[in-house]
Amino acid sequence: MIYGSATVFTLLLVVTLSIKGSTGLQWIVSGLTVGSIYALVAMGFSVIYSSTRVINFAQGEFSMLGGMLMYTFASKAGVPVPLAFILSVIIVTLLGAGFERLAVHPLRYSSVITVIIVTIGFSIFLRAVAKWIWGSDPVKIASFSGDKPIRFLGAALVPQSFWVFGFTALAVLLVFLFFNRTIVGKGMTAAAANPDAASLVGISTSTSSLIAWTIAAALGAAAGIIIAPIKFAAYSVGTMLGLKGFAAAILGGLGSAPGAVVGGLILGVLETIAAGVFPSGYKDAVAFLILILVLLAWPQGLLGRRQDVMA
Amino acid sequence: MARRKGIVETHSYRTFLIVAAFIFILPIWARPIPGEALHMDIVNLMVLTGIYACAVLGLNLLLGYAGQISLGHAAFFGIGAYTTAILCTRFTWFPTWLGVILGASLAGAIGWLVGKPVLRLKGNYLAMATLGLGEIAFILFSQLKGLTGGTVGMLNIPPLSIFGLKFDTDIKFYYLVWAIVLVIMLLTINLVLSRVGRGLRALHSSEVAADAMGVNTGSYRVKVFVWSAVLAGLGGALFAHFQLYINPESFTFALSILFVTMVVVGGMGDIWGGLVGVVALTFLPSIIQVFPEWIPGIPESLTNFSNYALVLYGLLLIIFMIFLPKGLSYGMERGVAAGRRSAKLLLDRIRAHD
Repeated sequence: MIYGSATVFTLLLVVTLSIKGSTGLQWIVSGLTVGSIYALVAMGFSVIYSSTRVINFAQGEFSMLGGMLMYTFASKAGVPVPLAFILSVIIVTLLGAGFERLAVHPLRYSSVITVIIVTIGFSIFLRAVAKWIWGSDPVKIASFSGDKPIRFLGAALVPQSFWVFGFTALAVLLVFLFFNRTIVGKGMTAAAANPDAASLVGISTSTSSLIAWTIAAALGAAAGIIIAPIKFAAYSVGTMLGLKGFAAAILGGLGSAPGAVVGGLILGVLETIAAGVFPSGYKDAVAFLILILVLLAWPQGLLGRRQDVMA
Repeated sequence: MARRKGIVETHSYRTFLIVAAFIFILPIWARPIPGEALHMDIVNLMVLTGIYACAVLGLNLLLGYAGQISLGHAAFFGIGAYTTAILCTRFTWFPTWLGVILGASLAGAIGWLVGKPVLRLKGNYLAMATLGLGEIAFILFSQLKGLTGGTVGMLNIPPLSIFGLKFDTDIKFYYLVWAIVLVIMLLTINLVLSRVGRGLRALHSSEVAADAMGVNTGSYRVKVFVWSAVLAGLGGALFAHFQLYINPESFTFALSILFVTMVVVGGMGDIWGGLVGVVALTFLPSIIQVFPEWIPGIPESLTNFSNYALVLYGLLLIIFMIFLPKGLSYGMERGVAAGRRSAKLLLDRIRAHD
């Protein structure tokens, strides 16, 4: 199944390139850019899901908040970009961790529906507060290093794309190192695999849930900040980003970090190609069709394992 | 728990009669309240309440009894609305009541088509799948311009008429909608008290146990899902004939969330609770809008409810799930019981003092 879909996907890329030439290359590169963002959001879903079996419906709102805070700090207050980036990520991360302690942790013995509704409530709340603070008009955030496009084989690449690729690679590496090379991360992997056995050997599932939410909020915020110069930032962007990140996570296999990256990149490219071929109004439907088809036909996704172990 | 079930079984029909009587006499005294302070048209709001109640009663069965979540019921509501709107505006001779029935049926048929595969999923996966379906429906409503009028929507939908009787005023529509809601209530009460209802409750508490006891869990889940889709479609069709215009903005994710919020606030798995939730959340905007005029010096941004409606809904969802997961009606019941207990205690103490 994996080889089958890899072949189909490669074929699709080759066909796109040979028919559309440099336009096709342009589609693929912008697809990979958006796809990197989906990958980061998907990783947020996966980290929380594998530690707590919770789907965080507010994951997309972390990205939205990241972008909007970046706008306030960098564009409005004139704080230097690196500092504004760090400040925005820290604020969103604190929000995520606080929500985990106040609302998710007290409900750790409740039913799935209860927790779903609470995270939905949180996402509605964040979106509404953002609309209140920043209004409903989209805002523009300056690129990190100018807007002069770089020519590559006839395709024009915005410099921000490289920031997106670089940052995504860095984030993936850090998450991988954390879960595989640190004792806390390994403990979390153990707690995800078997919470009871992990508590018996002294790993706190409660701490692991808090760390997972912290990581997910940071990943989400960073994703929202680095994509903001390419796409506009607005109070409403979080929902769609969250849904697509989730679709990517499902496609790659929920709970698998490499799966999240692969799922995100594939979804980004498919979506951009579809937007080029079909009327653009249907662009968003691609992610949902993929989501439903994968859920129905193949719920463990491309790289997911039955136990949903992290990394 | 056993005591509570007893109350439901013996008091359901009595409660039904009381509610029915209240609904019948409501328009007699409820005049639109004019003036600056509380401009609220109770009958008009009650029509909307009834329309939402159709959808929420079905969703309550799905969430509370079958334990399955749907975050896409706005799709069925929309399918019902668009079906009758398209039929009745394209063919002016088309009987509107038939449009409503076809709208509800089509919603049910589509519910069956998507429900059969989707309901194999559980919990989180089901939530996301239904959400995806809702989004696809919304995209289709806005993109199939030839059929649905795109983002502009459909105007000039004729008012509902049944055998020459035109439901073109609020008061007529009120009685029609609430007659329909009461029939649905009756059906729901009977369903909940029947073998099927017991099967559903078993399904909610433990699917494995229910399966082992011979409840066909898969088929039950699909049946409840289809029934809830039919009711949402019915609500949507009535909505179209009441508003007389529709556009995709009426059937977004926010509506699906509103339905779920109504179920949760009222009380999952409590039929009367569902109704309490619908009334509470339909009236809430109008009531809150009044506060700024009562409390002078409130900031401008607080006077418009739409500014912070969603802030409030979000908080309500979180707070209810944490502190009152069984909903308003259960909370009120407990409050009354606690009041009685403390009153009795007080009386005893006074007597002892004498």
